[in-house]
Amino acid sequence: MQKLTEALAAKFASPTRSTRLTVVVGRWLGVSFTVCFLTGLLSHGLQEPPGWMFFPTRPVWIYQFTQGLHVTAGIASIPLLMAKLWSVYPELLKWPPVRSVAHGLERASIALFIASSLLELTTGLINTYKWYPWPFPFRQTHYWLAWVIWGSLLLHVALKLPSIMAHWRGRAIENPATASVTGAAGTGATAPGRWSRRAFLTGLGVSTGVLVLTTAGQSFSWLGRLNLFAPRVMDTGPQSVPVNRTADDAKVAGLARAGDWSLTVTHHRASRTFSLAELHALPQFSQELPIACVEGWSQMAQWRGVRMRDLLHSVGASPDSALRVTSLEPEGAYRLMSMPAEYARDERTLVALELNGSVLDLDHGYPARIIAPGRPGVLQTKWLQSVEIL
Amino acid sequence: MNTPKADTPVKTIRIILGLAGAGLIGYGLLGLPTQLGPAELVGLLTWMAVGLLLHDGVIVPLSTLAGAGLTRLSFGLRPTSVALLRGALMTGTVVTLITGILLKAQSVARSTTVLEVDYAGHLLWFWTVLALASAAAIYVSERSGSTGPTIGDRQT
Repeated sequence: MQKLTEALAAKFASPTRSTRLTVVVGRWLGVSFTVCFLTGLLSHGLQEPPGWMFFPTRPVWIYQFTQGLHVTAGIASIPLLMAKLWSVYPELLKWPPVRSVAHGLERASIALFIASSLLELTTGLINTYKWYPWPFPFRQTHYWLAWVIWGSLLLHVALKLPSIMAHWRGRAIENPATASVTGAAGTGATAPGRWSRRAFLTGLGVSTGVLVLTTAGQSFSWLGRLNLFAPRVMDTGPQSVPVNRTADDAKVAGLARAGDWSLTVTHHRASRTFSLAELHALPQFSQELPIACVEGWSQMAQWRGVRMRDLLHSVGASPDSALRVTSLEPEGAYRLMSMPAEYARDERTLVALELNGSVLDLDHGYPARIIAPGRPGVLQTKWLQSVEIL
Repeated sequence: MNTPKADTPVKTIRIILGLAGAGLIGYGLLGLPTQLGPAELVGLLTWMAVGLLLHDGVIVPLSTLAGAGLTRLSFGLRPTSVALLRGALMTGTVVTLITGILLKAQSVARSTTVLEVDYAGHLLWFWTVLALASAAAIYVSERSGSTGPTIGDRQT
């Protein structure tokens, strides 16, 4: 068996593979994974806030930026992860596969790291396409696996730290034992028909850069012209703003178009209803705010409507109030939305009645929806039914 | 050779990182069953195992095979040309991989403004531009009489 695995390792040997290459790619991957982890935690915290959660509302594009970064860094991680795994592939063929209990645990942790990372990136990408072919819930799995992956990253760094330190700078000499496995000559010579380590890294950098440039335009408008392969394109959809959940999807078309629609505001067991005409009669304010989806796409737009703080004032409530907002949707994970006081009192938070100069399209939440600075799109509740002051 | 005194901080850092890493892994693994049912956990483990097998058993061997074929094809080229050729193929392959998944997803898209673009057309244009630009660069590289260092001659 050992002869067989050695023969296989020789087949997969390449002078391009080396510990130095693995360390360089690992550094890039470590940065992209950390960016994904931290921006993902922020997004998760905004959706399911722990008691200590802070709610940044400025700059108004903060969530547009962090979630765009989250998805873009995730996409960039795909070629980086594949290159990293390619660089250490011969390690997989070592025999015996387990030399001791400690070695077995190390290999098990690496298997968990790799399997989790492959799954996280693949399902994360496909989630942005709104395609869910897997038999488990995406959001919860994505969240818990993120902890597993980042923990695995720390553990992996701990295990490999001496090797990482030895090859952090380019002058390190390849360990002959490692070189024999990876096939690295360590001499700097480039065999005919092959590419050098530096050329490989340049190629990887270019590939990753091209992938980022041709997809990040869904999140960052200044890259919009290069957006060839992202699932969303800015300035598309009704009123030039993309839609995730349509009125048909939410089964609200009839309720939202009803002539007797009104918004109910409840405060201290007392309720007051506002017809659409009454909402229009209140002072109207315009705000330029982005709608930024958890799937990474975003769109800056001009919204017009009633300030939430004014609506609260009109029923005698303090603007420093937390709210529970209900949609007309008969069902769905986001039918109920909690709004912390940080957003309710913000002068930019609107009960929006218009979008980009005309009445809200039905798919954008007609007759009234929430738009607040720095919140995930799923919390910008559409087709409002009631606002309860807590 | 590091002295024992110099090794102590590294050892401490390794212990801290290792314990923190193991703790976070445990937190994530214990969190999964709180929100996923048994059938969903089995589905998750199956997807992870299949992903691993697909990567290690298919993608890497195929890419190695392609690399070996490319080595034969580009044997007489200058190192710069080889790097350009391989870099272009790597870029094209990565973009094609992503677009392939996009095209599959397009057939099951549920939203009115998702996946509306002609991705196959974009991919065709992308490969055309990539092929022409790479061919031109390799032509210039091969015609160049310069014997100075190239990106393929240096190491990091």
